[in-house]
Amino acid sequence: MSDSPNVRGGDTGATAEAPAFPAEARARLDEIKTHYPQPKAALIPALHLAQEVWGGWLPEEAILAVANEMGLPAAEVSGVVSFYDLFHAEPVGRHRIRVCTNLSCQLRGADEIMEILRDELAVGEDEVTPDGRCSYTHFECLGSCDTAPMMMLDDRYEENLTPERVRQILEELD
Amino acid sequence: MPTVTINGRTVEVEAGTNVIEAAKKVGVQIPHYCYHPRLSVVGQCRMCLVQVDGHPKLQAGCSMTVQKDGMDIRTDVPEVREAQRAMMEFLLINHPLDCSICDQAGECGLQDYAFKHGQAFSRFRYEEKRTYPGRERIPLGPSVLLNMNRCIQCTRCVRFTREISETGALGFFNRGSRTEIGTFPGQSLDDDLAGNVVDVCPVGALTSTRFRFAERVWYLDKEPSICTGCEVGCNITLEHRKGKIRRYKPRANPSVNDYWMCDYGRSTHERYGTLPRLGSPRGAGVTDGSWKQALDAVHRALTSRSTDGAVAFLGSAHLTTEEAFLLAKLADHVGSPHRAVVVDQGPERSIPRPDGPITGTEAGPNRRGAELAGLASREGGFSAQDLLEGAAAANCAVLVVADSDFGAGAHDPATVERLRKAGTLIVLGWADTPLAEAADIALPVATHAEQEGTFVNLEHRLQHFERAFPAPGQARPGIEVLADLLSRFDRDWTDEVTAAQVFDRIAGELAPFEGLKLAHLPPEGVRLEVTTSEAH
Amino acid sequence: MATFEPVLSRNVGHPEVLEVAGYKKRGGYAGLAKALGMEPDAVIEEVKKSGLRGRGGAGFPCGMKWGFIPKQSDMPKYIVCNADESEPGTFKDRVLIEHDPQQLIEGCIIAGWAVGAETTYIYIRGEYTHGARVLEAAIRDAYDNGILGSSVMGKGFRHDMYVHRGAGAYICGEETGLLESLEGKRGQPRVKPPFPAIVGAFGAPTVINNVETLCCVPHILERGADWFKGIGTDERNTGPKLYAISGHVERPGTYELPIGVPFSELLATAGGMLGGAELKAYIPGGASAGLLGPAHIDLPLDFDQVAKAGSMLGSAAVMVMDQSVCLVRAVMRLSKFFAHESCGQCTPCREGTNWMKILLTRLERGEGSSADIRVLGEICEMIAGNSLCALGDAAAGPVRSLVANFSDEIEQHVEAGCCPYEHRRYFTASGASAQPTHSN
Repeated sequence: MSDSPNVRGGDTGATAEAPAFPAEARARLDEIKTHYPQPKAALIPALHLAQEVWGGWLPEEAILAVANEMGLPAAEVSGVVSFYDLFHAEPVGRHRIRVCTNLSCQLRGADEIMEILRDELAVGEDEVTPDGRCSYTHFECLGSCDTAPMMMLDDRYEENLTPERVRQILEELD
Repeated sequence: MPTVTINGRTVEVEAGTNVIEAAKKVGVQIPHYCYHPRLSVVGQCRMCLVQVDGHPKLQAGCSMTVQKDGMDIRTDVPEVREAQRAMMEFLLINHPLDCSICDQAGECGLQDYAFKHGQAFSRFRYEEKRTYPGRERIPLGPSVLLNMNRCIQCTRCVRFTREISETGALGFFNRGSRTEIGTFPGQSLDDDLAGNVVDVCPVGALTSTRFRFAERVWYLDKEPSICTGCEVGCNITLEHRKGKIRRYKPRANPSVNDYWMCDYGRSTHERYGTLPRLGSPRGAGVTDGSWKQALDAVHRALTSRSTDGAVAFLGSAHLTTEEAFLLAKLADHVGSPHRAVVVDQGPERSIPRPDGPITGTEAGPNRRGAELAGLASREGGFSAQDLLEGAAAANCAVLVVADSDFGAGAHDPATVERLRKAGTLIVLGWADTPLAEAADIALPVATHAEQEGTFVNLEHRLQHFERAFPAPGQARPGIEVLADLLSRFDRDWTDEVTAAQVFDRIAGELAPFEGLKLAHLPPEGVRLEVTTSEAH
Repeated sequence: MATFEPVLSRNVGHPEVLEVAGYKKRGGYAGLAKALGMEPDAVIEEVKKSGLRGRGGAGFPCGMKWGFIPKQSDMPKYIVCNADESEPGTFKDRVLIEHDPQQLIEGCIIAGWAVGAETTYIYIRGEYTHGARVLEAAIRDAYDNGILGSSVMGKGFRHDMYVHRGAGAYICGEETGLLESLEGKRGQPRVKPPFPAIVGAFGAPTVINNVETLCCVPHILERGADWFKGIGTDERNTGPKLYAISGHVERPGTYELPIGVPFSELLATAGGMLGGAELKAYIPGGASAGLLGPAHIDLPLDFDQVAKAGSMLGSAAVMVMDQSVCLVRAVMRLSKFFAHESCGQCTPCREGTNWMKILLTRLERGEGSSADIRVLGEICEMIAGNSLCALGDAAAGPVRSLVANFSDEIEQHVEAGCCPYEHRRYFTASGASAQPTHSN
């Protein structure tokens, strides 16, 4: 979701040798490809898989691996990655926190939750803590407005947040 | 075919024609950026919004097609004018005011539509324009430079690399107002069709590295012409100023190059400026540098040799059909069977077209025209190979090479030495090459930009081009030089010959050209009917 | 107020329904059994008769949409369930997915039977990881129990179903944006026509319906169109509706009520205003809907009446704001959302949403002028109707309503040179919830 361009145009160096897609992921991807009449439809599932494999984000080599696996130009795959908020082309913490700050959550204190995270983690939004443990960002509506304020921690929702609860959650992170 | 009415004017169009194309037929120009006749329709820029009877909202003219009778379109109503003004305002709020340093000025889609459809003031006064820091002058490849701040996100360039050149080298990245185009890190836009993205870009976001800061386009004179890089014969617009060619741009011809040309072709005019030129006639017996003396000397060489001394005529694929015809006439007058056309086998140049690509492998535009005009090698005559690689030249009393820059051989000492072995070496051409230097008599001739003529491409399509500017110094069009020379053999000829006149002779004598007249050739050219023996 | 007998949410609190056996025990799959005994066209007619309108936001008549699918096609046909639920304030589909997935599966298969589609893709937003897992498990169980596969309920009709996770983009809730994303591309909406019923997923005829819409279908088949029509305000606004209410109410949550319930009744069902505060404004249908004020406290929340009031029912995501709220700040936050989510293809939305965000940010800080308010209103007119898809219109919605109905609040910012509202704290220093402060 970062704003910084993740592309540099104009290097005339040769394309990097495409890194391999890991075997278990490839097996899962091959099964997923059977769900669709066109193999390209498996691209976003492939990127989800790759992001898991590469520790929560998609470095250039992951994009090249997926491009190679899917038979697509790297520029196209990179374009897809940069379109979606759940794909990260920059490093993230081992744990990723996404705080909803849209209207219903803003009406119940979401901005204060962000403040607490900033204070407790001592890094800014979209930055990774020095020990690599955690990064946080604000996010758009997560579909949990009745439990506002809330956040997404990795792949689960933490709802009905209070400052205490947030501090507790952070403490329990490994 | 269904009819459609646009601004009160009704016209019949093929079913499936979109409103932009239909409007052209009644002289109505609907502004557009993202639409391009050869690219997929995306309906993004929203400049082409028109009012369609029966639809409450304005519709995009690029995606709205005429299927049956009765469609009623208006572009001259306040709603459409307001939409156009609004789209222009939106595009200009983040666009940098770079006009004074931007190459696109004078041929810029934003400038043109801002004047026609926009407003003269800005309401975006206290805000910061959206910029892409660090992306103001990024080489995407050897021939294309990107200034992302100027981009209006029309996506033509990306669609070109996906749908036409099929390299997929360009992509879109990010979302919303941060959308940008670019290449993947470590990769570049370096295929031979890359320069076309500069043509399709309506603004100065993508510019040509070789044309950067070279010339203000409103100083350029423009002449339709043909590229001489290979046998495809892409139609071009030859843009020049003060006798110097500044730029080639492709000119649309769906029968040849569609809307495109290759980067190599774009660079071919630079040769005219890099090689030294033959300025005046020179050589043995040419004491005062005059054409009269020079042509008299050539005439003497051709007629005074012993009757069994071979005279050979070597043309090139850069000769116009008319030049080749007159050279062949000269060979006829001298009674020589030795004639040939030389052309280098160049790299493959392929231009995509809807019905399949056109691919040229010869490094000159008119081998076929030259051969059809009478320079094809014949039984008992020396071939190009005999002359260039064999010992044939040594057996020639006179060797006339009609192009001093016929190919790599003209600069190769070994080849030049072989040709030099002819008794008298006469060279015509625009370039002062090692071959011209070695010649006994060298005659300066116009480049294709400096004369009128025709080329016949690899599909036997005859294409006509006119003179863009006069030849410098004492150089003259090849047909004038050859006709002047012929006049010394046959009083029917004078040096005041025109290409049309020569072409009339060609049409009168050679079957494939029968019935054609230069003045009446259609703009897309004409496919000649050639017999199987002639066609190769 | 009479309690309404839940239909769509009747199985919430009964986790056994996640499996086919438990679902059937509570009456599930009766609708599908009935449908499979009818002609496909008869099923479409029944849905048309019911007056079911799409619950994703557009409110398009569902039966009519199914009727657009060509009867004959060389290509396979598809059902796509739009589970992208990303409209701010909306969380009702999540309830249905996580608590009654078999109901959704049943609706999809009936749709497939009706139009001749043998495959359903459920496009679920990437953030709903739990929901995706629940669905995948439910689907596996459905296959194991002969509900999905080569012969649905033994009737020889084949139906396959797959979950496809999105990756975080609101625009993928737009039907053609969804299709692009499903096909492995950036979720950028397509030019229409052609419409998805003719050229949809993978170039084939496709029905795209919202989760809640599809969940209504088994009940329409089981209990009949007349029963469905009997609920609601009139024949154009029928059936039970899930209302997701959030913001400054005591009990935010999803409530199932007949469509057209007055806002005051919904508010009371949700426990009234939080802390007894006074209502300032509410949004009836998600971020794309315009703000309504206390004058509309009794407005029946159905498609037509909310539209007449100058807003839209949309996804029935009701966001309630009390007097402490700075409406300029609220709309500014929504404009940030739209600017962030704009796909960037078309000029008016790409540039216009960004411009509105910048203007509202300045106005909220008190750095704007009255002229800016006028420009803001005009930008809305420049976007609406001109964008490639409805996101442009949606972005203009709340801003337009702010300028039209609450411009005095913006003027206050201009005059004060800053935001005149105290920055409200929701939590005390110790972390307890703070009492809402009521501003000047």
